[in-house]
Amino acid sequence: MMQHHTTIKIEDDRTHLAASNFPAVAASIAVGMILLIVAGAIGRPAGQGDSYTLLAASYLVSYLFFLSISLGALFFVVLQHLVRAGWSTAVRRLAEILAANLVWWGILFLPILVPVLLGKSDLYAWSIPGAAAADELLRHKGPYLNPAFFAARAVFYFVVWGLSAWFFLKWSTRQDESGDPAVTERLEKTAPAAMILFGLTVTFAAFDWLMSLTPEWFSTIFGLYFFAGSVVAALAAMILFAAALQAGGTARRVITIEHYHDLGKLLLGFVVFWGYMAFSQYMLIWYANIPEETVWYLERQTGPWTWITAGLLFGHLLIPFLGLLSRTVKRSRVLLSFWAVWMLAMHWIDLYWLVMPTFAPDRLPLGIMNWLCLSGVGCLFLAGVLWNARRRSLVPLGDPRLNESLAFENF
Amino acid sequence: MGILAEFSGPESLKAVAAELRQAGYARFEAYSPYPVHGLYEATGRRRTLLPWLVMLGGTAGCLAAILLQWWTNAVDYPYIISGKPPFSLPANVPIAFELLILFGALAAFGGVMVLCNLPEPYHPLFGCAEFRRASADAFFLSIDAADPLFDLKGTADLLRALGAASAEPYSRPQTERRVPGYVKATIALLLAAALAPPAYIAQVRFSRKSSPRLHLVLDMDFQPKYLPQQHSPLFADGRAMRPPVAGTIAAGAAIDDAHLLRGETGGQPAELFPMPVTMELMERGRREYDIFCATCHGLTGDGDGATSQVVVLEREEPKWIRPLSLHLPTVRSQPAGQLYQTIADGVRTMPSYASQIPVEDRWAIILYIRALQRSREGTLNDVPEELRKQLESIHDDATSYDDQN
Amino acid sequence: MSTIHLDDNMTQLPARRARLVLGKADCAAVTETVCAIVEQKRTPPAWYAAFAVSLAATGMFFASIGYLIFTGIGVLGNNNPAFWAWPIVNFVFWIGIGHAGTLISAILFLFRQRWRTGINRFAEAMTIFAVACAGVFPAVHVGRIWLVYWLAPYPNQMDLWPNFRSPLLWDVVAISTYGTVSLLFWYLGMIPDLATLRDRAKSWWRRSLYGLFALGWRGSAGQWHRFEWAYLLLAALATPLVLSVHSVVSFDFAVSQLPGWHSTILPPYFVAGAIFSGCAMVVTLAVPARGLFGLKSLITMRHLDNMNKLILATSMMVGYSYAIEIFIAWYGGNPYEAFAQLNRALGPYAWAYWLMIACNVLVPQLFWFRKCRVNIWLMWIIAVLVNVGMWMERFVIIAASLARDFLPSSWGMYKPTAVDVMMLVGSFGLFFTLFLLFCRFLPMVAMAEVKTVLPRDEREKSD
Repeated sequence: MMQHHTTIKIEDDRTHLAASNFPAVAASIAVGMILLIVAGAIGRPAGQGDSYTLLAASYLVSYLFFLSISLGALFFVVLQHLVRAGWSTAVRRLAEILAANLVWWGILFLPILVPVLLGKSDLYAWSIPGAAAADELLRHKGPYLNPAFFAARAVFYFVVWGLSAWFFLKWSTRQDESGDPAVTERLEKTAPAAMILFGLTVTFAAFDWLMSLTPEWFSTIFGLYFFAGSVVAALAAMILFAAALQAGGTARRVITIEHYHDLGKLLLGFVVFWGYMAFSQYMLIWYANIPEETVWYLERQTGPWTWITAGLLFGHLLIPFLGLLSRTVKRSRVLLSFWAVWMLAMHWIDLYWLVMPTFAPDRLPLGIMNWLCLSGVGCLFLAGVLWNARRRSLVPLGDPRLNESLAFENF
Repeated sequence: MGILAEFSGPESLKAVAAELRQAGYARFEAYSPYPVHGLYEATGRRRTLLPWLVMLGGTAGCLAAILLQWWTNAVDYPYIISGKPPFSLPANVPIAFELLILFGALAAFGGVMVLCNLPEPYHPLFGCAEFRRASADAFFLSIDAADPLFDLKGTADLLRALGAASAEPYSRPQTERRVPGYVKATIALLLAAALAPPAYIAQVRFSRKSSPRLHLVLDMDFQPKYLPQQHSPLFADGRAMRPPVAGTIAAGAAIDDAHLLRGETGGQPAELFPMPVTMELMERGRREYDIFCATCHGLTGDGDGATSQVVVLEREEPKWIRPLSLHLPTVRSQPAGQLYQTIADGVRTMPSYASQIPVEDRWAIILYIRALQRSREGTLNDVPEELRKQLESIHDDATSYDDQN
Repeated sequence: MSTIHLDDNMTQLPARRARLVLGKADCAAVTETVCAIVEQKRTPPAWYAAFAVSLAATGMFFASIGYLIFTGIGVLGNNNPAFWAWPIVNFVFWIGIGHAGTLISAILFLFRQRWRTGINRFAEAMTIFAVACAGVFPAVHVGRIWLVYWLAPYPNQMDLWPNFRSPLLWDVVAISTYGTVSLLFWYLGMIPDLATLRDRAKSWWRRSLYGLFALGWRGSAGQWHRFEWAYLLLAALATPLVLSVHSVVSFDFAVSQLPGWHSTILPPYFVAGAIFSGCAMVVTLAVPARGLFGLKSLITMRHLDNMNKLILATSMMVGYSYAIEIFIAWYGGNPYEAFAQLNRALGPYAWAYWLMIACNVLVPQLFWFRKCRVNIWLMWIIAVLVNVGMWMERFVIIAASLARDFLPSSWGMYKPTAVDVMMLVGSFGLFFTLFLLFCRFLPMVAMAEVKTVLPRDEREKSD
């Protein structure tokens, strides 16, 4: 494709947030904590024996929702360095900021981890002392599914993710001042190792935190399935982040409609990829019809859960596919933002569908608990994003490929 | 017929195209050896419909695939194989997806051919020698003589003024070739001939025939072997089907158990049963007796079964030999093995029941017969406690009825 | 800032994209380089020698197929329990190789990787020929090949329809679609280049033949506009196609209940493996072709470097799949699945397994080092080893798993016969015959596409 001369000068555009957002950060943290405490208060066992379980499950869903956004964003950043992409430079800082939450997100994992270590987890049946003794299959999995190794792995994942996210953000920010191309080369050289570690840690995190909710069940593609959903969510979040910034007056000219178009194309591609992962898993298990595998899908195809499964097929795959096909949609900030919100909602439903049926097989527990957890964790996530966005350019000013990113045009 | 002008590069070509459009020219074309961005827009034409065609093709492919699979596997000849329902959407997705892509691709390719008006081998510009470089490294612009603003000298001057390296007229070659009549006739004939096989198949599919179906590939359908019921000249009795050799026994049957299979111990009819005598065996014997034996020998063993009643009462056969009562002293004195041989081989007018009653059931029946025989000479004390009261009450009812009447 | 040499495009400068065409980089030079191969009066003797060998191998291929059809399936090594053996291994192998062509044409096009223009034409040709080779195997291994039309849904006297719920039918549709779409994509892209050959042709029969297939292409702005749209749409269609075709091939195994076969990761694992082996075949072909045909300025070291990086990346994906399968085989607690994995590593076919690991996972790790990525001989050897490893992978999956399935009383060893070997070698003969014909008579490099990625200042000297 030919490149046209650009008339966009970065100096004309505001690339930092307008004012100090420390009050916003503090407010987000406060609101988030309050919401979570309220959720915890409602969720204590009071008559209904399983309401604590539902609290734990709701928290897990919300936690993983925002974690997957950060993981998908980290993947985006590492990938752009790995393939030496030029078009994405203008929007890469947004992904770096979204990923930077991984540095401290491990703290929020404690409400899930501590009960496992204490043997009181409502989520992970295998972690209850005595469970393995009673069940031969759990005994077999004992060397892997035991609280100590589980905790050690979780620590490892967060260390890897946190270091990667921090490394890529820190050096990219440093390059803002120096404009040193050696930084780009350094990031490119680190990207392959980061990608390998990312792939392995995300896979096993999905196994540990989602697949082991049903410890008898297993699926080799599960890690990739979770990964696909995470990338969809991250791309949607990036689109919304860019739209929000531009609505607020930042980076109005640096992030062009071409970038939205490309993010839209990637979103479409990963929606299809998610569909491919989901269909592969479903169809193979359906076709072979082996009871030890179908049990997981049967939970999700009986009673009211059938509607959610059908809803995911149409809402997460078919409808957004048709919606995102159009070039016009991808080149409209408003329409693309609509689909971004839609995909985030669908991703949340996907995680809800992954987690909840194990704990509520005959009903859809959708209530105040879910909203409290979602908004509580969400406020904390937002606080992290705002914290990392302050006093930092929202566009990698020193990146040698920024000009290429500003100039490219889609077909 | 028109003017062909050469330019130095794509930028000048774009600029000139824009100028010509401004000037009001409509029928001009720009040529380049590779796609130049912005050139088509500079000529001022509409974006192509191709994406819509592909979308249409893809949708048609997907629907066609689902319809095909639904109709063939779930409606016309539905069957369940390996447990999959006749209409299984998950199993139909791969083919639906592939046909979506195939029809979409055919639409894209066919669409671009039609929209570009290809194949088009006889364009007038192919007569120009210079135009040959258009596909390699040169940039041209041509204006058709049919354009309302076209003027042989004026347009050429304009183009030179805009920077053309050369602006020469071109014209259509003299000879014009049409597709010959015999080619068209041959194609029509071939198309008609191509309809013959489907027509034949349709005729065969929807009509009845008395002759066997077309059997093009024989495979191993006619084999040099004998089928059941066929005649064979090899054997004296002419049968291809041979009876089993003497001494053949059923698979799984015990070979040497003379007691069980022939009711003999030491060459004499056996006194004892070859298996443990249980209540279960007795019940079984009662069931089997009621099924097989009671029709002639009666439910109580007196020989007054349904056949006798039919014969005696309805047909009044005086020479009918009644089935034996099982309570006769001659029958009572027979050992169990002899009773067995009666069932297995038949006796006098009673046929063999070997084909209807399996070996163990025969012994069960004999056990029940012994119970019936015992019941004639038993006393109330032989009856178990719990059933005595029942019998007494039946007896009381019966005697009180007799007393009344 | 170091200077950029016209003979070398390997210097990495983040701010500036490397040249994709070396030497004189204008339209005329590109046209001349590519067309000269097709237009040369005297075919190089090396081509004749290679053609003779591959033609002989093709003859052997068809002879063994003829023998197979007339004598019966018994001449192959397929037996109880390995009912699927070399024919299916070869089928999956060849289809896999075809995938890299579509990756380079379609997927790299969508990702705007401009370096693909140097190799996409002959990678697509490689795809077509690989699919042709692949399609022969399922057809001849059925036994009664004259009845293979039963696979098509035509109204018939028996009132029967094919069972569309079976992955074997999905294969039929997927492979036919893949062959057709690849052919259309390859041909469409070739039309402008055929027009170039037509316009440069000196003899009337060359002009007529190339003209016939160029369909009268003139290169007008309108035609280019629609052409670009059609190319983009075909690329957008071919991308999910390439993912789906090898997924459908993987479904042949994954929908079964056999341990080692029934695994949900099989679709993306097979696709990654296919691209892996295909990229290796592209390198195997590109290295001699660029030397023999003088294409070093168009298929530069940078192109080969990028292909080698792709080989490394897909090798990691394949390695990931192996690791996850082994882990879940243990984690799932299914003793048959665990046995299947152990049997692969320690059983009677362990030699094939470890050869596969060495060639697929270990050897490509050399590509972490730049020196290895740009060393012509080393990259060629590694590419050949990768293809050996990928063939071994299919062999291990198919024959080794079948030889040791559920019941020990059903176990049996598999041994290929001479006919199996002749068919495998012969299929390479068919592939290379078609490929050599392509090299000699058709434009090996996509001239029109390469012209779009020439450095602007050199392409439009006088503008």
